[in-house]
Amino acid sequence: MTTTWKHQNQLHKDSGHELLTLTANRRGKLTSVWLDPDDHRQSFLDLDLVDGSFPSLAASLPETAWDEREIHDLFGYIPLGHPDPRPLIRTPRWPKDFLPLRSAQLSPGWLEVEPDLPALQVEGDGVTIMKVGPTHAGIIESGHFVFSIIGENVLHLDAHLFQNHRGIEALLEGKTVGEVSPLVTRICAADSVSNQTNWASAVEQLAGFIPSERLLLNRIILLEAERVLSHLNDLAQIPAGVGYQVAHQRALAMKELWQRGLQSLFGHRFLFETVHPGSAVSAPADAVSEIVHAVRRHWVPWRQVVMGHHGFTNRMRGVGTTPLDQVIRMGAQGVTSRAAGKEFDARQSIPWYGEVFEGPVIRTSGDVLARFELRLDEVEASLRIIEKAARMTYKTPFQDQPFTVPEDIDGRAVAFSESPHGLNVHDVSLSQGRVSRYHVRAATYRNWPLVAQTVAGNAVADFPLINKSFELCYSCTDR
Amino acid sequence: MSKPVRSLQIRHVDAGSCNGCEQELTALTGRDYDMQRYGLDIVASPRHADAMLVTGPVTDTMARSVERVWQAISVPKIRIAFGDCAAGCGFSQDSYASHGGLNDPDLTIAGCPPEPGKALSLLRAWMASHDTHGMTSVEVESNSKKIG
Ligand code: SF4
Repeated sequence: MTTTWKHQNQLHKDSGHELLTLTANRRGKLTSVWLDPDDHRQSFLDLDLVDGSFPSLAASLPETAWDEREIHDLFGYIPLGHPDPRPLIRTPRWPKDFLPLRSAQLSPGWLEVEPDLPALQVEGDGVTIMKVGPTHAGIIESGHFVFSIIGENVLHLDAHLFQNHRGIEALLEGKTVGEVSPLVTRICAADSVSNQTNWASAVEQLAGFIPSERLLLNRIILLEAERVLSHLNDLAQIPAGVGYQVAHQRALAMKELWQRGLQSLFGHRFLFETVHPGSAVSAPADAVSEIVHAVRRHWVPWRQVVMGHHGFTNRMRGVGTTPLDQVIRMGAQGVTSRAAGKEFDARQSIPWYGEVFEGPVIRTSGDVLARFELRLDEVEASLRIIEKAARMTYKTPFQDQPFTVPEDIDGRAVAFSESPHGLNVHDVSLSQGRVSRYHVRAATYRNWPLVAQTVAGNAVADFPLINKSFELCYSCTDR
Repeated sequence: MSKPVRSLQIRHVDAGSCNGCEQELTALTGRDYDMQRYGLDIVASPRHADAMLVTGPVTDTMARSVERVWQAISVPKIRIAFGDCAAGCGFSQDSYASHGGLNDPDLTIAGCPPEPGKALSLLRAWMASHDTHGMTSVEVESNSKKIG
């Protein structure tokens, strides 16, 4: 059993499949779900626990290291042979027998101790420890970083995240289908539409509902509009990381313009609650094209100015490099992985994107510059996709498809989409019309361990720039 | 003699937000809203701040950090709850990991997330209607303890 579990998972990895989720349930079962990017097929592998423990995959499949630590923290199942079994989400303030996804009662309450866990640090002559966070000197999400440095150089970074852990997966359990959307929308403002779409697709799969082409086009428009929004934000933050204020301010202004457009067309500046099972908010194609044109008028000159600034492009070149083999080994996703040459974009594996998707944008140098340029090209591609999809909605007949959720809806579905940060997966189990288990695996979760590895070997002063070039949100990782 | 508050330097603390509130706060520093025109700014240290602005439902892991930032700000000072989560009416306030919002805010800016234009006018209205001496009811002595 043990050897087949390891062997089977390894086999998928070696065949170039993507790990969608690795999680557990309270009945003592572990499941991993793999996606074959060529034929879009999902494979489910199951493992029954033996004496409350399971054989760890982390040593040979490092991308599973966090998943297994999380399973330990939330379910109490023990990963045997895990190379780094420290708590990930759990803090010393959690009572020992409190396992939120197994026995949802928090009693007797939090322990009166500090929430910090000991960090992994380098010891030796001349090594300094620099602690940053969890609060930061700006408008940033919370995270605690412990740097071991020698002179200007980072030897090791231990990132302690999960300050934003809100217990959303436990919160979702027991909810009726109608109650889920407002929660899922707010897991992360940067990847909201992607999360909403995953939820909607999961419910539709389980209900046997086939969305019309028109509905899917409307979802594509919203997903791409979100990508533009998130990339504009990141493209504004990267220059800010090196004090290039003009580029920062002009990009922020474009983002504001885009958000006002989204507000007027779809009713929300971050597109919250725009996608539901069986529906999506839509706008007239002309109005959509108008906001695309409005942003392009500022985009083209901005891109020229920024990329013509040699001081800025040189500052990004060769900094924070992630080699391709490392990206593949760690199962990294999204901009991070494509900037290092990995040719995977979840949109390839979503049949309903069809011909509007132009194929993944790829860079190969894997440095800050590659991640910056990749976003530039992806913004332009997304704007084209939006225009194309909006034009196509004219030609596709509008079918009013009333969708009512079957009261006894039941089963498990794994739905995914390409969020602005990469492959975003929801593993949803419903039973008698209520959520019995809800697992969210954001792309950033796979990328955070890579940030820590990438920073080592660079100068301390490069950290803000490197971190901003990944621009990983904390909230969907922490949940 | 009472004078309206002419400047408010803000220390932001994320206590479990979905980052929507952060993004709208960042928008306030952009040229479309330009909060600095009105004496409002985000500062890097609580030692420079007059206000603590909290986003998110105050997760258990952040609860102590929030109070430490508050202790490190000198009086007079105020507490601002930014967004529904911090205001105690957000979606995750009942979860095991959340303390259900910021305690005793002096100013609550509701919204999910608050629309930046509205947030700016609420901040300005608060400044116009309070005087520099009456910003907070915290005793001066309570700040004498140095917290690292
Ligand atoms: S109030 Fe809304 S936007 Fe702000 S942190 Fe909460 S869920 Fe996110």
